[in-house]
Amino acid sequence: YNYNKYHPIEEIYQWMSQISEKYKDVVTQHFLGMTYETRPMNYLKISQPSNNPKKIIWMDCGIHAREWIAPAFCQWFVKEILQNYTDNSRIRTLLSHLDFYILPVLNVDGYIYTWTTNRLWRKSRSSHNNGTCFGTDLNRNFNVSWCSIGASKDCQDITFCGTGPVSEPETKAVTSFIESEKENILCFFTMHSYGQLILAPYGYTKNKSSNHEELIEVGEKAANALKAKHGMTYRVGSSADILYSTSGSSRDWARDIGIPFSYTFELRDTGTHGFILPEDQIQPTCEETMEAVLSVLDDVYNKYW
Amino acid sequence: GQSPPPALYDQSPPPPALYGLGLLLAPSVGLGEAPTPPASCRSVGAQRWPPRCSAPAGLLQQAGARGLHFFNFRAGSPSALRVLAAVQEGRARINPKKGCRVDLAFTTELYNPEEGKERLGKCSAQVFFRKQKPRPAINVTCTQFIEKEKRQEKDFLLYKQMKQLKTPLDVISIPDSHGYIDPSLRPIWDLAFLGSSYVMWEKTTQILYYYMVQLRSVKQWKTQEDAIDFDYTVLLHEFPTQEIVPCDIHLVWYPGKPLKVKYHCQELQTPEEASGTGEGSAAAPTDFKNF
Repeated sequence: YNYNKYHPIEEIYQWMSQISEKYKDVVTQHFLGMTYETRPMNYLKISQPSNNPKKIIWMDCGIHAREWIAPAFCQWFVKEILQNYTDNSRIRTLLSHLDFYILPVLNVDGYIYTWTTNRLWRKSRSSHNNGTCFGTDLNRNFNVSWCSIGASKDCQDITFCGTGPVSEPETKAVTSFIESEKENILCFFTMHSYGQLILAPYGYTKNKSSNHEELIEVGEKAANALKAKHGMTYRVGSSADILYSTSGSSRDWARDIGIPFSYTFELRDTGTHGFILPEDQIQPTCEETMEAVLSVLDDVYNKYW
Repeated sequence: GQSPPPALYDQSPPPPALYGLGLLLAPSVGLGEAPTPPASCRSVGAQRWPPRCSAPAGLLQQAGARGLHFFNFRAGSPSALRVLAAVQEGRARINPKKGCRVDLAFTTELYNPEEGKERLGKCSAQVFFRKQKPRPAINVTCTQFIEKEKRQEKDFLLYKQMKQLKTPLDVISIPDSHGYIDPSLRPIWDLAFLGSSYVMWEKTTQILYYYMVQLRSVKQWKTQEDAIDFDYTVLLHEFPTQEIVPCDIHLVWYPGKPLKVKYHCQELQTPEEASGTGEGSAAAPTDFKNF
């Protein structure tokens, strides 16, 4: 499987089956829910068999369809963990207490649409107003200060927040699962592009989360680890401070239901290529992002164990 | 509909004599410091537009990027395009009545870096945003980092490459969906970026800024004077709205001569804003009065 290319959804599904078969001791594939166009949303659970109870790390990619580097990273991350867990003590240590739940493509319908019709589509493909208007911005659809700022009630708009909080099946699928496991989830990572940012809560307010300082400290350490790899600068801060105000985001919702380490990663680049990042940048982007994520996981591991 | 939410930014009347208030903003590199937002910003809640205020951190980077759009357009050299490398220092002055002025110093890199050679240019710029209006007034000077003859040589090479391309081009989009640009088509991209720089400068406001994402429907004609007469549609990514804005651009270029640009952008959203049509020539003096 070529991790240095972008893959259409059929190939990603096939890869998921194959990799869970290949590493069946530690990987299982699960069904999260159905999309609007009734496609399955599948995630991978990576879990080292053990007697002790585990905490959960959640990572989703591709909530915005056009951000192709994000699903590419989710696949890379899975590959790195699985190829190295037997002989890499860092990863083995993390797996001794942590299970990874990876959703490589959250917005399946939108992702397919970027392959077949419009490379720059962002939203889901839900139909509104008698089929005259399509798509909800899934990252405005979560039940946290829903549609209060940085989102639109007009379905024509690219930041349409949906007909109500959690109106979309994709959002429902994610929230049902996360809710059911929230006591055990330590990290919620949601991967996007572009901008080269590590964003902490919140977008819907300039107020800071109770653990804001810790999140920034951990984030900055991750940014330094990232920079050490290929020299790229990622800025760290709360979303409202360094990006713009938004409501209904998955990251803010995850934080507010109690998940302590909730981050949005905006991957490469800073505008030269934007969403259409050339394939020759997949590897360096994934390598540096891997360092950042592992850095956060190290800090989280050290905090709890 | 919903009642307006509490404003994110302070809505109390601004204190008097804000003109000349200098905010010293350190370039934020991996740090999450939050400079005070412009006092003229207001949140607009759940309306068609996302909030009218982008967060102020990144303001320096954005000012630098806009300065370079203007610089690149005025230089008219598709083989010597510059992009922002790093902001070294800068400050913003906000006057709630007049707008926002950013002074900054920054380094630049070549848009098309030569293999093995890393050049860093230096620029200083003043970028003045008239309150909520597009087309900021820009004063920008940069150190020369390609010798003039070398630059002219490269421009002529690019010109010849463009002339050799068969029209109509059998290309749907540049780059393709995977980010790939065939090396033979690279001159088209560079020239398009040059023309788009003008458009992006003209459209940008204190809040709105743009990146060029993709070229569509590229056409080329010859003119009597043998200039490159180039007609294309470009997709711009607009921040913070996230919208993709298609613009039809027609540019006329001959190496060493000022660039001429005509454009029309599709305004998808608010009908009350003027549709983005404009034309300009790098030969015309830019209007700096009242700045």
